[in-house]
Amino acid sequence: MAKIELTRNPFIKSALKSRYPQLAVFIIMLVGYIFAILAGLIGTPVGSHNFSIVFVWIAWWAILILVAVPFFGRGWCAVCPIPLPGEWLQRGAVLSPPDKRPKWLNLRVPKMFRNIWLQNISFLLLALFSSVLLTTPNITGIVLAAMLFAAIGLSTVFERRAFCRYLCPVGGFIGLYSQTAPIELRIKDKQVCVTCEGKPCYNGSQTGYGCPWDVFPGGLTKNTYCGLCMECIRTCPHDNIAVNLRPFSADLAKPSTRMDEAFKAFIMLGSAMIYAGVLLGPWGMFKDAAYNVGSSAWFVYAIIFLAIIFVILPGFFTFGILNTKNILPLKQRFASLATALIPLGLMFWVAFSLSFVLTNASYILAALSDPLGLGWNLFGTANTAWQPMLTTILAPAQTLALVGGLIWSVRTAEKAANEVKVSSIPVIVYSFIVTSIMLWLLL
Amino acid sequence: MNPRLKLLIFVITGLVVAFAPLPVPSIAPQARTFRIDARQYAYSPSELNVNPGDTVTIQLVSADVVHGLYVDGYDVSVEADPGQTTTLTFTADKPGSFRFRCNVTCGAVHPFMIGKLNVGSDNWLFRSIGLALLAVVGVIISVKQKA
Amino acid sequence: MNRSEFLSRIFVITGIILAIGAPLIFWTRTPLIHARMAENGGWNPDIIQAEVSQPLHLKLTSDDVMHGFAVGQMDMDAVDVEPGKVTDITLTFDKPGIYTFYCTRWCGLNHWRMRGTIEVSGSSSDPEPVSPPLYVSLNLNLDAPHDAPVVPRSMPSAISGQQLTTDLPFDQSTDYYRANSPYQAFTDLSNTARTESQRWDVVASIWQSNTTPESLANGKQLYAQNCAACHGETGAGDGVFADDLAQAGEASMQTMSGAENMMMQTPVDFTNPTQMLGASPALLQGKILRGGMGTGMPMWGSIFTEEQIWDLIAYIYSFQFEYQE
Repeated sequence: MAKIELTRNPFIKSALKSRYPQLAVFIIMLVGYIFAILAGLIGTPVGSHNFSIVFVWIAWWAILILVAVPFFGRGWCAVCPIPLPGEWLQRGAVLSPPDKRPKWLNLRVPKMFRNIWLQNISFLLLALFSSVLLTTPNITGIVLAAMLFAAIGLSTVFERRAFCRYLCPVGGFIGLYSQTAPIELRIKDKQVCVTCEGKPCYNGSQTGYGCPWDVFPGGLTKNTYCGLCMECIRTCPHDNIAVNLRPFSADLAKPSTRMDEAFKAFIMLGSAMIYAGVLLGPWGMFKDAAYNVGSSAWFVYAIIFLAIIFVILPGFFTFGILNTKNILPLKQRFASLATALIPLGLMFWVAFSLSFVLTNASYILAALSDPLGLGWNLFGTANTAWQPMLTTILAPAQTLALVGGLIWSVRTAEKAANEVKVSSIPVIVYSFIVTSIMLWLLL
Repeated sequence: MNPRLKLLIFVITGLVVAFAPLPVPSIAPQARTFRIDARQYAYSPSELNVNPGDTVTIQLVSADVVHGLYVDGYDVSVEADPGQTTTLTFTADKPGSFRFRCNVTCGAVHPFMIGKLNVGSDNWLFRSIGLALLAVVGVIISVKQKA
Repeated sequence: MNRSEFLSRIFVITGIILAIGAPLIFWTRTPLIHARMAENGGWNPDIIQAEVSQPLHLKLTSDDVMHGFAVGQMDMDAVDVEPGKVTDITLTFDKPGIYTFYCTRWCGLNHWRMRGTIEVSGSSSDPEPVSPPLYVSLNLNLDAPHDAPVVPRSMPSAISGQQLTTDLPFDQSTDYYRANSPYQAFTDLSNTARTESQRWDVVASIWQSNTTPESLANGKQLYAQNCAACHGETGAGDGVFADDLAQAGEASMQTMSGAENMMMQTPVDFTNPTQMLGASPALLQGKILRGGMGTGMPMWGSIFTEEQIWDLIAYIYSFQFEYQE
């Protein structure tokens, strides 16, 4: 299947180029986000009836992991409200780019942090506290507010969207998994960029700002760091940038050799498995340990969590690929073969999320009518009873997702192994084993 | 061999693995009673094993606050206040592994208060692992073929 | 700044103000009574003001687990107070005074401590004289041991006893029943020509005659809802909280002196004949009214009506006597 250029369609092109539709979505998202913060802080402390828990960890999460990431890659980043207040302050404008004199410090993020390690750490921090975060409205409210203020703060010190690119815990995995998505933003003709003066896609112009994601669109070969904000489409004077439909996981044909991305794959794989076991399993002891943050049981849980992610999973992986003798260093083999875990991890998260989303989706209707737990009934659905949905298809859907993910992972492993000229068997065996474990945890 | 034929073989094998009826060991259905203690946020015992066809009676004893017990797949439930043991009886006619969960908000971690009911062996799990194995073999063969 | 930029800023700022302001305004204008487990603060607020004959509208919500709401000694159905949802209730008071409201669904070890007061002001026609409970007029020491020196070998049967209730040296009136323990009645029968077990059967029959099937049923329900969690569904003092209470007793050993005090922390075993048969209904009423003075036994004086307490007591004796179905 070849690429289909979506921006060839004039309607799509003008919708993406114009700032108005995007602004409308931005305002809705920002209002919803701020409302979620308020709901978390002053609404009922009962998570299942609070807008912040229900609409962030059930509704938004479901749409993110089941639709946005697999089909639109960084599509959520395109509409996310977190960077907006900071960016508007940075630009001194909500819509048009009047003058581009820096309003704030506009420092470049130090080289040491120009990777996704901070995002790995921020995701792990949330993950270690997830039992409390996912169930307690005021904690969710505080975390949402903290991210918003962190983004604003970083925007006043650093250039572009420093929070999004280097700190956001969600952005870390959305970026990694966006490599599997069937949508991409790429230049049309490389020669045009070579002869282009000033590179306004990166440096900005009268019609738009330089890439807020600190990406040079002319050099974009993968989705990982492009946030689909459409700014470059507005600035390119040669109309050389397009949004294309393409086969799934096209980016994985060129495996990355970065260690931060490789470890992100392990972080996501491991945390999906741990969540499946701790949150959805019948073992009360683990849930107690995960919830009682600060207790000695929780410390043990945190250490085991980190050990699984940084030692056990990558350790077994490394052990498996050790024998694949090669001229390339182990680090490179490790990173490029770990690419196979990207589609696997995505499907692990899909399978895991299906369970709690289908079980608890009925809360969405109640929270819509009474978001703060004050006794409202805005849409008449406040008394919708809790009722798990589509339970008969859950197990088959999880199997389909996990087996599908395994197939995808094996194919990716074959391609990656081909690139580094090693055998793919160890990776395949590894993927099969972890998939079987995940099947056992979920079914 | 024609790749289309190979694909067909794999699909058919897959369907067999997924759906072919397995011989059911004929164990006479019994009546079983379980006393389950419910406290924030776990059941004790949290895993029950019965045979298909058994009549299952669960006595729910809440040990701290009002809890419930809802069985996925069977869509039956019961609630109990501390001090008032309640009983749920149903026939385990659907084989497989089913989670049971609390259906009365009992605190923060309530959505994850979960136990497991195993009716017979968890055939779907074995089938799924079989499918996973089949998928791996299938992809390896098809890739080797292209090379 | 051009027009579209200006309008956009207006939209953004309006949106933000609404998103922050609307919830705040509605939240401050919705007076809710929050129910929490006693360990987390109980009722908030826990003092409500009202006026005689003026309907009092209350909005109740739970912040954690399932709770319930009822007002003591008032003829009303309890309502559930569900986590995250709001229950509306309207109360009207005929007489001024201080009413106690309480939680009606077990919500942890300290569920019974989850109480508050409604202060109803207004003029009253004439103040009602309150008579002291029976144990006061009988001068009973509620905390003294009340062991029966002699207990029956098997559970006395009221059915058998009924045949033998002729020529009793005392009347079977309510006053006698309330003022005397089963052991005392057994002793009072010692001059009659009956065997020991026959005498116990007579006592059982007297006890049954002082209640009705409806009262027993009412007592059974009250027991299940209020007592069973500590005292056990079979009355054996082995309710789901019995262990926690014993542990709480151990923890307070430093402040209390002596092992007998620690025994006070475990719920009473109503199936124990030695203790139970030595207790008169008046003594039991006193314990229920007053509570346990530092043990986990609640005081029910402001919650139950007198009739409810007698029904409950009648049911408690049914752990000792076999009553006719």
